[in-house]
Amino acid sequence: MLSLAEVQSQLRNAVVSGDVAAVAPLLVGGQDPSGRLGIHRRHYEASLLAAIMGRFPATSWLVGTPWLEAAAADFVRQCPPTAPCIADYGRAFPAFLAARPGREGVAYLESFSEMDWQLGRLSVAVDLPALDVAVLAAVSPETLLDVVLTVQPGTYYAEAMWPIDELIGLYLSDAAPEQVTLAESPVRIEARGARGKLRFSRIASGDFRFRLAVSQGTPLGAAAERAALCDRSFDPGRALAALFNEGLVSDMNVTLSGAV
Amino acid sequence: MSSIPRNPTQTGVGLRLPHIEEAVATHPPAGWFEVHPENFLSNPHALELLQDLSARYPISIHSVGLSVGSASGIDRTHLARVRAMVDRIDPILVSGHLAWSTHQGEYLNDLLPLPYTVETLAVVVRHLHEVQDGLGQPFLLENPSCYVGFAGSTMTEVQFLNELVDQSGCRLLCDVSNVHLSAHNMGYDPRAYLNGLPADAVGELHLGGFTLEEDAGTPGGGVLVDTHDTTVAPAAWDLYAYAVTKFGPKPTLIEWDNEIPGLATLLHEAAMADAVIARVLAAEVTRAVTG
Repeated sequence: MLSLAEVQSQLRNAVVSGDVAAVAPLLVGGQDPSGRLGIHRRHYEASLLAAIMGRFPATSWLVGTPWLEAAAADFVRQCPPTAPCIADYGRAFPAFLAARPGREGVAYLESFSEMDWQLGRLSVAVDLPALDVAVLAAVSPETLLDVVLTVQPGTYYAEAMWPIDELIGLYLSDAAPEQVTLAESPVRIEARGARGKLRFSRIASGDFRFRLAVSQGTPLGAAAERAALCDRSFDPGRALAALFNEGLVSDMNVTLSGAV
Repeated sequence: MSSIPRNPTQTGVGLRLPHIEEAVATHPPAGWFEVHPENFLSNPHALELLQDLSARYPISIHSVGLSVGSASGIDRTHLARVRAMVDRIDPILVSGHLAWSTHQGEYLNDLLPLPYTVETLAVVVRHLHEVQDGLGQPFLLENPSCYVGFAGSTMTEVQFLNELVDQSGCRLLCDVSNVHLSAHNMGYDPRAYLNGLPADAVGELHLGGFTLEEDAGTPGGGVLVDTHDTTVAPAAWDLYAYAVTKFGPKPTLIEWDNEIPGLATLLHEAAMADAVIARVLAAEVTRAVTG
């Protein structure tokens, strides 16, 4: 008898890749036990295919269900999940799609499908209690640049060369046309969601760079520097106040001298 | 102090995401709800709604991802996330499956079969200790639905479950439909299986629908598949009545995971389970009175 680890390795290959030859002699059950393994293989493929298709509804609308299903089936075979929460599965699917032949004409496929995945995440997010801008009064001027803010979990920043927010908006509306002509035009998008509600806004390059950096845990001073580098008119005081006033900040810490 | 019953006498239903908003809005007459934590851990909104429900209903947490049979070990990150949910929801029961689903960092999204050997026993006992320590409470282990077994097994499934109870202190979740299905597929007597379980360790019963499919390699033969997409079959109801006689009334759950119908259908199935319990208990009273 093989070790448990060896048995499971062979069963894994049968379920994920359909390679039953190695495990077949180990099995009992009915006249063709290796045929019965097809029940597990079918469940693996069907459940994960359904998970991917459910996570990328707008992408399915954009590129067509048959093409996306074929891509999802390959993804399921090549990239099994790595954690038991299947709602998290598919994070790498946009990059997988971008590398797949057949939709080279859709230049924005990766950024669009990334946005699609993120909208699924945002739609089930929950806003945390927002901090009031008055908390900054407790921060000394010399430590303000080291402050790290935590933004609401239902927030996503995307920069794309095509107006993917317009496309998503068409998908979410009930009046999507059969054909859409898009013009290449860089966009910077802030998407917010909580408890099933979604909204998008386009923001200027300086504010985008600042908010993106803050959302990634960058201290305020460094975030403001990045913003100023791409937008000479960037006003850090106004941008910081706006973050608080829009309810985007849920926590605040100082990187060098301990918690505020 | 909470008024939520810790040992509900009315049958519960599996609460899936399509029903959760309706359950919060209408407070249906369910005895209790059971949820898969893996459906909630990445869905903060659903978890928030579940927390609302936990103030009104007993909740059981039934994991499909802890993978106590995996040779590559327990996913401690996942175990910690389930523990956080347990702390938040205060469930009446926490359970999982005698199966494996993780392999060297991959999650195979199914409950895969185990060979019943001394080596596997040691692995599962070790993992059950780890899970129970990690969750801070007893863990109920569900008997699997089987399509295949292993020629190298040195114990029956019943012997294996008895050893697990003895060596880990875990309790058992007896899925009556799985017993019927596995007995059909593997060719044993389902009542003998129930007779062999340690009755004192059984803390919960499950019932779910299954589907008959053609068995590969056996013309005219059929294999029962644990699809959870239909009503409980008559043969499973009969075996459930036997299980209630054998184990006494235990918290019972109706599971339905695919082609999910309206809540009313699930509650109707739950009422049928309650009727079986009432019938069995009435027969026992009659037998006691008449000698």
